[in-house]
Amino acid sequence: MSIIYVLIPLAIILVSIAIAVFFWAVKSNQFDDLERHGSSILFDDDLPKPADKRPPSKEQDESI
Amino acid sequence: MQTSCYHCGLPNDPHQVFSTLVLKQPQVFCCPGCLAVAEAIVKNGLEDYYHYRDEFAEKANSDESDILQTLSVFDDDSILDEFVETTDKKSEIQLSVSGINCAACAWLIEKQLAKVDGVLQIGVNVSSRRAVLSWDTNKLKLSQILAQLEKIGYHAKPFQPEQHEASYRRENKRFLMQLGLAGLMTMQVMMLNIGVFFDLFGHLEAETKVYFNWVSLLLTTPVVLYSSAGFYASASKALSAKTVNMDVPISVALTIIFASSLFATIQQVGQTYFESLCMFVFLLLISRYLEHGARYKASQISSNMLEYIPTSAMVLDGQQTKAVLAKSLVAGQEVIVKAGELVPIDGTVMSGQGQLDEALLTGEFSLVDKQPGDKVYAGTQNQLGTLTIRVDNNLKHSVVNQIANMQTQAMANKPRIANIADQFSQYFVGAVLVLSVIAYVVWLNIDPSQALWITISVLIATCPCALGLATPSALSCAIANLNSKGILLKRSDALEQLTKVDWIGLDKTGTLTEGRFSIQQTVNLGHLPDQDLLSIAASLEQYSSHPIAKAFADHPHLQRVEDFSVDIGLGISGTIQGVNYKFGSASYIQQPLPAELAQCNIVLLGDNQLLGGFVLNDQIRQESQDLLSRWKNKSISLISGDCDSAVAKVANTLHISNWHAKQSPEDKLKLITQAQQQGYTVLMVGDGINDGPVLAQADVSVTLGAGSDLAKSSADVILLDDSLDKLDVLLALSKRCKQKIKQNIGWAIGYNITVLPLAFIGYLSPWMAVIGMSLSSLIVVVNSIRLLK
Repeated sequence: MSIIYVLIPLAIILVSIAIAVFFWAVKSNQFDDLERHGSSILFDDDLPKPADKRPPSKEQDESI
Repeated sequence: MQTSCYHCGLPNDPHQVFSTLVLKQPQVFCCPGCLAVAEAIVKNGLEDYYHYRDEFAEKANSDESDILQTLSVFDDDSILDEFVETTDKKSEIQLSVSGINCAACAWLIEKQLAKVDGVLQIGVNVSSRRAVLSWDTNKLKLSQILAQLEKIGYHAKPFQPEQHEASYRRENKRFLMQLGLAGLMTMQVMMLNIGVFFDLFGHLEAETKVYFNWVSLLLTTPVVLYSSAGFYASASKALSAKTVNMDVPISVALTIIFASSLFATIQQVGQTYFESLCMFVFLLLISRYLEHGARYKASQISSNMLEYIPTSAMVLDGQQTKAVLAKSLVAGQEVIVKAGELVPIDGTVMSGQGQLDEALLTGEFSLVDKQPGDKVYAGTQNQLGTLTIRVDNNLKHSVVNQIANMQTQAMANKPRIANIADQFSQYFVGAVLVLSVIAYVVWLNIDPSQALWITISVLIATCPCALGLATPSALSCAIANLNSKGILLKRSDALEQLTKVDWIGLDKTGTLTEGRFSIQQTVNLGHLPDQDLLSIAASLEQYSSHPIAKAFADHPHLQRVEDFSVDIGLGISGTIQGVNYKFGSASYIQQPLPAELAQCNIVLLGDNQLLGGFVLNDQIRQESQDLLSRWKNKSISLISGDCDSAVAKVANTLHISNWHAKQSPEDKLKLITQAQQQGYTVLMVGDGINDGPVLAQADVSVTLGAGSDLAKSSADVILLDDSLDKLDVLLALSKRCKQKIKQNIGWAIGYNITVLPLAFIGYLSPWMAVIGMSLSSLIVVVNSIRLLK
């Protein structure tokens, strides 16, 4: 049972890290808009530049 | 061929075709506006938008030149001062963007603006329909950026968040952090203690238990110090105001449980209750967070709805005109107001002739004729003709502003009513204190060494966990339910007050009635079938901006009109398929009317032959009749600014015995205050600027989504889809909500009373307290969730 003297403090450290990350996320407005970012990964992120880039991105889109 | 617009999804015009290539396929659009937007999107290489979107866009506006002119007002320095935060290199502004309805819109806007040279950053928030924009003021004007957005079909406005919104936002974040911390810590502490309760680790040595207690103490301390800070703050605020609210017993319980557990850990005697404490805080925070979130959302939507468009004015400067902001006008200047424009300021007509829509001010939609010498008021709209106005007063002293001031005052004087939970908590605190003293004294005589621990377990048994959840959980569920039905609740305690309402004040035009002309009767002299008569009238009226035109607006068969002309205040004429028609009042026709047409407000003449006429009226909404028949047992008053005969007619039809006509905003306010002094709880329903002050004064006020901004900013409840029968839904739900709150309080107290004897005789172990606490809270929450249906 003496292992718990190591494991529990370890758990506490992990929880502290989790809380720090969570606080950072709240403070940097990550929770402000929960509707949008779920789908934004599906959208093409590159600004469509000259014509040479268009056709390939088109095909990808149609497969969505 | 497609029959609906590719861009906005509305039906296409069968007579005209607008089409362009989108994604290499020809697509058809309903109007030049939608076509222009789609072409702009394609030209910018953003046509993928049509792939991504899952909802149709808003119908685009066709007359772009007007918009661009209005937008230039936003470059004025006084606007920049008010809305824009400027640092040396960049300016930042918050915009409320209408037309955003899915994530693809955000993508489109960001991509469109990112290409504009000078835009530094753009972030779009879909759920609040807003954007934060920062740009380089040296390279770009704000109006140019807004024009870019107009091109792709979005209307962006600098907006003023509602007063409380910034603090709501801060609070929301704080709640989220407190909740997250409490949640994570509760999991840890629970994990340790469940093991201890049920001996999952086999037999635990005393030493290990002490170690577990210290770990729990370490994990619980931030929950007590940080997550519960809101409870202490609210409790001390209540105590310093010499009242008691629900947070007082909660804070007392938290402090005592923590202090006794701390003592038990250090002294290694007695029981610790860390896990109960953590869970207690976590559950309370969940329901508070949800309630707060529902209110935050409502305040966001309602402040987006308040349009902020600074009115510009065309000032006569010698022979030329120049655009200035209305608030910079001073008495003596002369302003020109064209047809379709808002009158920017109070003044006197110098020359010209026009018809004004004063609906926002008086609540009445019929146009008012203005001649030289007549007064005109800021906020009214010039429908026909051009007026030259001499400014009488600056904007600060205009009638609209006086009404707005009256509203602010009324808001400040509004009576406050304590809610059930807070009233109840006074007795609760007293009872808990008395019980613990009794427990202590009794046990001092039986076994002095046990007295302290028994008293603490009595306090834990009476811990107001479920009680604290009773109100907020019910309120948040009720608000969420109302939101989904299109009822926006800006103040949650309005729900409790609604159940007490026994005096209802109703506005007439726009509230009980449709607020527009509709065809009540068609009189046909028999030369043409009814269908053709309507079709000709509707075709003529499609070019008119007179309120009468709206009566014919939804007619499906429109014909091409040539030689269209308007005679201000009289009627319109035009040629359809070679026949010259005149459509207007009796004096416009200049012919004696037969007896059949005597009732008609408007008659149709084709090639000098009378064809027929229409009786137009402001129709009473179907819902008003149903609603009032169900409200027989309440004291109802009809309060209107309209003339006696019109108000009496509506009152008679709806069987309202108590009506007041020709009421100014001050008169209305007096009526309401009188009723309140007589001890009534007043519900006011209205929609105009003239209703603003009464809405603010009434105990609960309801306005319609189509109401004026002033009304929306002072009302507690907004019926977004303008259907009056939602009032019944609202009243019914408020009753159910109050009932649920009472049931919840009943359950919570029931639990406390059941475990109290156990605590009194010293049999309440920590695991019993935890299970009891969570069960009673669960029952309360599940009971509240039923309000969602």
